[in-house]
Amino acid sequence: MEQKKVRRWNTWDNPWLNTKFLIGISIVILVVLFGLLGRIFWNVELAYVGSSPLNLPPVWQGGVPEHPLGTESNGRDMLAQLIVAIPSSFKVGLIAASVGMTAGLVLGSLAGYFGGWVDAVIRTLADAVVTIPTLAVLIVIAAFFTMRDTTSMALILAMFAWPGPTRIVRSQVLSLRERGYIRMAVLSGERPFGLMFREMLPNMLPWIAASITGNISGAILGATSLEALGLGPTRVPSLGTIINQAQTSSALIRGMVWWWFPPILVLMIIFTSFFLITTGLDEIANPRLRGLNK
Amino acid sequence: MSTINTENLILDAPTDAKKVLEVENLRVQYDTPRGAVRAADDVSFYLKEKEILGLVGESGCGKTTTAMAILQMVQSPGRIVGGQIRINGRNIVGIPESELRKYRWTELSLIPQGAMNSLNPVIKIKEQMADAIRAHENIKKKDLKPRILKLFNDVGLPERVYNMYPHELSGGMKQRVCIAMSIVLNPSVIIADEPTSALDVVVQRVVAQTILEVKERLGVSMIMIGHDMGLQAQMVDRVAVMYAGRLVEIGPVMKMFKNPTHPYTQLLIEAIPSIKEKKPLKVTEGLTHDLRNTPEGCIYQFRCEHVEDSCCNEPPRMYQVGIDHFVSCRHAAERARSMELLGGYHG
Ligand SMILES: Nc1ncnc2c1ncn2[C@@H]1O[C@H](COP(=O)(O)OP(=O)(O)O)[C@@H](O)[C@H]1O
Ligand SMILES: [Mg+2]
Repeated sequence: MEQKKVRRWNTWDNPWLNTKFLIGISIVILVVLFGLLGRIFWNVELAYVGSSPLNLPPVWQGGVPEHPLGTESNGRDMLAQLIVAIPSSFKVGLIAASVGMTAGLVLGSLAGYFGGWVDAVIRTLADAVVTIPTLAVLIVIAAFFTMRDTTSMALILAMFAWPGPTRIVRSQVLSLRERGYIRMAVLSGERPFGLMFREMLPNMLPWIAASITGNISGAILGATSLEALGLGPTRVPSLGTIINQAQTSSALIRGMVWWWFPPILVLMIIFTSFFLITTGLDEIANPRLRGLNK
Repeated sequence: MSTINTENLILDAPTDAKKVLEVENLRVQYDTPRGAVRAADDVSFYLKEKEILGLVGESGCGKTTTAMAILQMVQSPGRIVGGQIRINGRNIVGIPESELRKYRWTELSLIPQGAMNSLNPVIKIKEQMADAIRAHENIKKKDLKPRILKLFNDVGLPERVYNMYPHELSGGMKQRVCIAMSIVLNPSVIIADEPTSALDVVVQRVVAQTILEVKERLGVSMIMIGHDMGLQAQMVDRVAVMYAGRLVEIGPVMKMFKNPTHPYTQLLIEAIPSIKEKKPLKVTEGLTHDLRNTPEGCIYQFRCEHVEDSCCNEPPRMYQVGIDHFVSCRHAAERARSMELLGGYHG
């Protein structure tokens, strides 16, 4: 009996030690570090037009060590571009996802807690926004506003990032409010604000975390799509603008793989690791998905 | 026969002690897509100062519903459709939430059914206790810890529980935390909903003992819900028996066990297992009716062995058969009365 108990709370059974989650989060941290530390070790001035010789291949294809990943047709160093682009893409994702999550928390808890017409209005709005083809609307919006910086683009993306969290928070509140301990908290006099943020919120953290990672990668995808279509802010290099420029300069036909492939590779790595984080979090939140634990 | 007063309603009962809680004609129903479930139907009883009232009946008969109705916390889709609940003479049915705060937990608290689910898994025990205190009082931070530790001491919890999370506690300890929670604000009435049902037999007795000690020390009144008749016999002063949403008999525990009047009470008491004699389990014909569709007349007519035509037409009321003793069966009341007239009914 006593033995069993010790075993049960063995640290290795800690749900947060989920392999998928850990791998995903380590890769994301590595990518972010590459972007953040890169500017210490590498001159990011080289990311500007005309700062370097044109069309140099990477060093393993006969390029020069001064530009290890090569340069493109406007005289930018590829390594410097990636170092600048990665944090900027993450920034868009983070801003859009956190604004969306904040809105989702407020709206979802209002809907779940008060029910009735409040719930009906919020739910209908969220469902309506979910059915809108996001990219098409974004293209229309982007065509009307010239987006000067990444923040305004992030805010526009956030307009589509709230329905997911809203639905999740709403359903969690609906289920939690019938739990014994929440009813006890109501009985013992806890007020709605405390109920929501002290009693309920910690219990939905895994779901919120899963939804936020999903939203970050969604926003990065949205931002990259707009940029690749040439509708994003063009002054700062970003993964999407690199793809856009590579495309308009026919990098594909000219065989300049080092131009179009690196941003795509980085995106693939980012999306894969976010996917791993999301599924990992899902398993953490739903023990049934975890499978047999040895 | 004419000397039998069968018209006395429950609330006119002669009584010396003050009534801290009065429930009068309480009706609660759950509105389901396939009709309304009448989970508490015309339930009336009172609770005297410093008394423990047992509330028994098979599961699904409406014990929890009645308890939650008293706390104004009936789970949706349930609602109170009629009746009054008076605390120290003041009705609390239908009063706004802000008014309710003055009664809930300060006057009326709950030891919930299933302590396992009644503690928030992500909040430390000390925080959960502190929250309940802070919601009602402006307490200085330095006074909080001694007060909580004193409560732990009252219910027999070690001090180390203070910094623990619910999952680190055993079932009995969780139940003790729930008992401690229920007395943080010194209420005058505690409702304990099957406080020992989920525990193993030894822990059951110990926890029951703790509840009794706490009750004695604080001088509170209690409603003790349970289906273990043996445990009830040892703990409570009076027993109320519920069947299918209705109260069928209520009376002093000794009298009820010696001379149960209502056929259903008789069945419950006969069903208490005994080591001394082996008796076959008595199973009555006919199942409980659908609570969505209550029959005309007596609620127990399908299972009663003494059923008569008149039982199926007119619902019985509460007939007084002794001091603080009422039964909702005309025939049982008459039998009891005649026995008493013959001198055979003195417990
Ligand atoms: N949320 C609910 N929705 C519909 N019916 C319910 C609900 N809760 C309880 N009931 C019904 O009310 C009746 C009484 O339930 P309850 O008060 O929990 O009984 P007890 O505590 O005596 O076991 C049961 O028949 C049950 O089916
Ligand atoms: Mg119950």
